Amino acid sequence: MRFPSLALPGAPVRAVGLAIMAVGLEWARVLALRTPDLQAVTLVAGGAALCLLGVGHQPAELGLERTRLAERLVGGLALAGILLLPAAVRWGGGPGLGPAFGVAAVVVSVGEEIAYRGAIFRALEEVFGPAAAILGSTAAWTLAHALSHPPAFLPAVAAAGLLLAAWRWAVRDLVGPIVGHVLADLAL
Amino acid sequence: MALRRLAGNRLALLVAAVIAYALAAWAVAPGFYDGIAPPQPYRWVSPPPQFRSNNQQPLPGHGTVRVASNGTVDPGTVFTQDGQASISFVPGAFVAPADRSPVTIDIKPVPSYPDPGSTHVATNVYCVTSTSPPAAGRDLLVSLQFSDQFPAPSDVYEYQADGPWKKIGSTGTAAPFSIAARATSLGCFAGGYPADAGRTAQGPRVSGGQTLPIIVALAIVVVVLAGIPLAVLRRRGGGGDEEEGSG
Repeated sequence: MRFPSLALPGAPVRAVGLAIMAVGLEWARVLALRTPDLQAVTLVAGGAALCLLGVGHQPAELGLERTRLAERLVGGLALAGILLLPAAVRWGGGPGLGPAFGVAAVVVSVGEEIAYRGAIFRALEEVFGPAAAILGSTAAWTLAHALSHPPAFLPAVAAAGLLLAAWRWAVRDLVGPIVGHVLADLAL
Repeated sequence: MALRRLAGNRLALLVAAVIAYALAAWAVAPGFYDGIAPPQPYRWVSPPPQFRSNNQQPLPGHGTVRVASNGTVDPGTVFTQDGQASISFVPGAFVAPADRSPVTIDIKPVPSYPDPGSTHVATNVYCVTSTSPPAAGRDLLVSLQFSDQFPAPSDVYEYQADGPWKKIGSTGTAAPFSIAARATSLGCFAGGYPADAGRTAQGPRVSGGQTLPIIVALAIVVVVLAGIPLAVLRRRGGGGDEEEGSG
């Protein structure tokens, strides 16, 4: 007996679909956050959902390799320093994250990196090449933040996405962006 | 040689990305911000009884905006140090001083204010002052956080000098537990709702105000999106040495 084979969508459709799913998940999370209750839980659920977009990939395909781990971690620290420097220079105090939101920030950061610089980057690179992967993942990342950020912040969001995607391509690494993103979110 | 050139390309892209980020992040304070809303306990000037023991006093805000070479005051946003109140403005929102000295803006929570009458004040009252008056016909966007422990305010209210209070509406805001409205003048602001109204819901809304940042953000997205087909064409044409090797 033969089972009918499932026709998997083509690579371009998969890449675009991943981007749409990631942006949709982020927007759903932002809209859910408008409800005052269970905000930290909503954030954690949204971040975990983004992590699921990496399912089906080998860690190496997403840039999550164990080789040169020390270098990757140091790279993550460097990225965190770059991301936080403009705020650190001008810092005049502000609200910090409580423990529950600290956990949520970690999950959201990891989820966003796995989704944008991991799965979406990989899918776009496979089909269109590295330049499209950098630009496309940055566009999706910026669009995903359109609901949660005041318009004035979007250029900085786009530039941060470009920086993290550039790292992903130049170093073939996702550990650095994850570390940098997590630290930056925890600090601000 | 090709490998060396590839490594050079990667380094060049990283350096360019760092510079682009530094420029973009410097244009807004605090810079990187990922939208993880931290609904910390609201800082009350006069806390309700149940919050008196743990209340921290709200903090003021101070900002300086320079006059650009074209003679208009730069755009910007001034926050209180605890992030509970902010004022955002487009280029030319303030009258440029004759000597082109920077414009200073202060936001201060105040303990006393005119009787709001039939309006329930649901936030602290913040008074905004500047060393140069707002320009005619230019709006300022006032954003106020409110406590998650009480009904959400439906509108922003304003008074000048000794009052009276007047409602200036609500433009909506993407941030949770915050309300925003456009103001045509500086004064003292608070979020509130009619005293006889029940709890008001905070429905989904899209950010308002700040046309210029929207245009800039859209321009960046368009450039990025336009870059994709260009990159594809370049790849198909066999150009580009960005073909990469593995790890």
